[in-house]
Amino acid sequence: MISMLTTLVLVFILQLLFYYWWWIILIPLLLGFLEKDSVSRAVLGNGLGVFLLWFGMSLYQWNKGGEIIVTRVVEVMGVGNGFVLALVTGIIGLLLAAVAAYAGFSLRKTLIKEYQIS
Amino acid sequence: MRTIKTIGVFVLLGILFFTLNNSQGSIPPLGKFLNPFSGFWQNGTHLDDLVEVIDVKGLRQEVKVVWDERQVPHIFAENSYDAYFAQGYLTARHRLWQMEFQTHVAAGRVSEIIGPKAIDFDKLQRRRGLLMAAEAANNKMNEDPNSQLILQAYANGVNTWIEGLTPATLPLEYKLLNYEPEVWSTLKTALLLKFMAWDLTGRNSEMDLSVIRESLGEEFVERFYPVHTPRLDPIIPAGKPWRFDPLIPDAPSPVFEPQFIRDLRRDEPDRDNGSNNWAVAGKKTASGFPILANDPHLGLKLPSIWYEIQLHTPEMNVYGVSLPGAPAVIIGFNENIAWGLTNAGSDVMDWFEIEFRDRSYSEYWYAGDWIKADMRIEEILVRGEEARIDSFPVTRFGPLVHYGEAKLDNDHPVGLAMRWSAHDPSNEMGAIRSMNLASNKEEFFAALETFDAPGQNFAFASRDGDIAIRHHGKYPLRGEDEGKFVRAGRDTTGEWRQWIPRDQLPYISNPWSGYVSSANQNPTAKGYPYYLGWDYDDYERGSRINDRLREMRKIDFYDMQQLHTDNFNKQAQLMLPFMIKQLEGDTTSSDEEQQILMDLKKWNYVSDPDEKAAWVYKQWWLHLEQAIWEDELTLYGELRELPARSVTAELLLSNKRSEYYDDGRTPELEDRRGIIRNAFYQTSSDLLSELGPYGDKWAIGRARGTDINHLLSVKGLGRTGLFTGGGSGIVNATKKTHGPSWRMIVELGDSIKAQGIFPGGQSGNPGSLYYDYAVDSWVRGEYYNIHFLHSPEVSNNSKLFLTSLRNYQ
Repeated sequence: MISMLTTLVLVFILQLLFYYWWWIILIPLLLGFLEKDSVSRAVLGNGLGVFLLWFGMSLYQWNKGGEIIVTRVVEVMGVGNGFVLALVTGIIGLLLAAVAAYAGFSLRKTLIKEYQIS
Repeated sequence: MRTIKTIGVFVLLGILFFTLNNSQGSIPPLGKFLNPFSGFWQNGTHLDDLVEVIDVKGLRQEVKVVWDERQVPHIFAENSYDAYFAQGYLTARHRLWQMEFQTHVAAGRVSEIIGPKAIDFDKLQRRRGLLMAAEAANNKMNEDPNSQLILQAYANGVNTWIEGLTPATLPLEYKLLNYEPEVWSTLKTALLLKFMAWDLTGRNSEMDLSVIRESLGEEFVERFYPVHTPRLDPIIPAGKPWRFDPLIPDAPSPVFEPQFIRDLRRDEPDRDNGSNNWAVAGKKTASGFPILANDPHLGLKLPSIWYEIQLHTPEMNVYGVSLPGAPAVIIGFNENIAWGLTNAGSDVMDWFEIEFRDRSYSEYWYAGDWIKADMRIEEILVRGEEARIDSFPVTRFGPLVHYGEAKLDNDHPVGLAMRWSAHDPSNEMGAIRSMNLASNKEEFFAALETFDAPGQNFAFASRDGDIAIRHHGKYPLRGEDEGKFVRAGRDTTGEWRQWIPRDQLPYISNPWSGYVSSANQNPTAKGYPYYLGWDYDDYERGSRINDRLREMRKIDFYDMQQLHTDNFNKQAQLMLPFMIKQLEGDTTSSDEEQQILMDLKKWNYVSDPDEKAAWVYKQWWLHLEQAIWEDELTLYGELRELPARSVTAELLLSNKRSEYYDDGRTPELEDRRGIIRNAFYQTSSDLLSELGPYGDKWAIGRARGTDINHLLSVKGLGRTGLFTGGGSGIVNATKKTHGPSWRMIVELGDSIKAQGIFPGGQSGNPGSLYYDYAVDSWVRGEYYNIHFLHSPEVSNNSKLFLTSLRNYQ
């Protein structure tokens, strides 16, 4: 829960300040690396954190004057409806964040094993 | 093992990042695109929000902008620099992607955006010399301090808008195609003007006509491709005396058979680019004041080709439509005058075959000697690949557009050069600025002095009570039919050396009839001393407009709206009774065919959207044209330019027998009655299999209708399946993807009253409330009342909103 919130808040602030999308990779990578014990906490926490952020933010934008653009992009991408589009957005975020967190976690484990870093 | 696994995860992460950070074919970079903080989710209606104060760097004084309910900006500036700066700034706010993309298309820079698949297009575009022409025009316009000021002010305004963009507020299309806007320059405006010139004057049938002449002979061309087509109702009424001493052109060029044109395929702007305009004098109107109307017909796209705007300075108050990417108002009105444009259609593009010394194409034969060509070297940047270099020679006859494979006997290669009036340096911006400022007829037509291309019919009306029309442009002095065929570029014969003097161009002012009009037809009847071209629009639209204007009395706005949206098909009126007669006594038809025929007989020739007969007739006529011409005019694997509708109609009406009725590819001998009947049965069987049983689906509004696609043809961003009537040769020239791109009516009374509409909206953002709001009203033939303001006072009108652009250093 805490790791999920940490990811959500950190990525939210960074994305608001700087528009790059790859914060959803960089932050989970870093947080995954800092996670000492549980791989599932790293992967799920970061993945769900980014999922909630991207899914929630998409719904917020859709609701805040995004009706027309969402209707059009739904047709452009052929994805059914706005809710599905927001879900797809969230899942892409989840996928990247989860892989990144796993990569960070694995890196730490590898370094510990190879170079005895604790 | 763990190390390998970790590396594997990082590789996977890298692949995911790379895939989602870059476009994959036509799929946008999904990571960026779906990012709810700066991807498409941010292109919603909040970008429409207006604010009361904006600090704008680069203004000289404060500018007030009044927005009306359709988000038309009414700009009130203290000086002209600020007015055009604000025009650039606000047009970019609504249309940045469109204006920039169009200049990329014009310049042959599409490969930079979409990659190698556009390289051939870019090469061709550069060889046509659009960039070259824009550079020349840019230099010329920047020599004129007035043009320079408005072009630079506009560019500065656009650039100030671009500087204020964030990744989140970038227009949607940049996100779809994954690129960013570059700095705007005066050259880009020049490119846009040349792009319009190409769209309006680039159509050319010389290669086809040369092939036709070579295969079917001189007489065939003379008979079926005449300068004055049957039933022509010219812009300047026949019988007008021409009181001037005309210049005499050189002797015509000898007949010449070019070497390699048989295999060239045409790639030209649409034939349907045309327009209507007219002006009626006070003596014919209900109010006693002159009225002017205009509707330019162009390819219909979203974002719309036009941007509506009002510009007010201490010297000027002008309203109308502008081209996104160019300052000032192109079609519109001010406190004293109104003007409208239609395409002139006179021939301003000639093709010359050039003989080169060798494959280096660096020297060509001219007047008995080898002359050095200017080699133009073009670097074409390609997204994701190395840049390509293309070079082509530029001759006295223009740039070499097509290279011939065939060799002359002496082993000298040939090529086709394109001489185009729009290649010459000109200052259209100066003319447009002066038109915007003009206060009477004399000032208006004097303003056209620097307007060369594209040639236009300028219809004019003023509060003084004047109406006038002028077929205006830079036209070479040529003999009859010169420029109809590809000619030899070997010496001065056929070379453009003199121009028709401006004061001798077709012009009429305040005729006794009380109206002037144009609809892209030949401007003059026989008797006008100059040859201007031959490939004009047919008589129907122009003639119908004149018929109606002649009859009308006490004209008001409603009458003018009715004429804009007039769906009467004059060609059907001429031909349908005759065609139906050929089916008399036919006992072979089915019940369904009987029903179709019955409806055709009952039809009143009005092509309203729910009219089935309108679509059946159109198809019947097309089948008939094909039956007559397809065998003769399919030459070297390509169906060539068909004769005008009126020429084919005349052939049918006045010749019971003709060798052209027979299809030379069949053993039978076809006759007139037979081909008309076959065409009918062919039409009904084609439509039955295409549309199903005879019923509502056959209505022209359904079977054809209108599609307004997005500029990139992205599904979902356009408006398709619109229920429209009208068509070719009809005043309401609405077709599948073409039509009236701006309808405007202006009454020049004590206070100016105006109405207008275009099929789209002010904003170019597909997520905006203002992207396509006018489309349905346009389909129904409705208009908006235009707010022509005299001050930035908004307190007494709740539909208006005031924004102050404060100069911020």
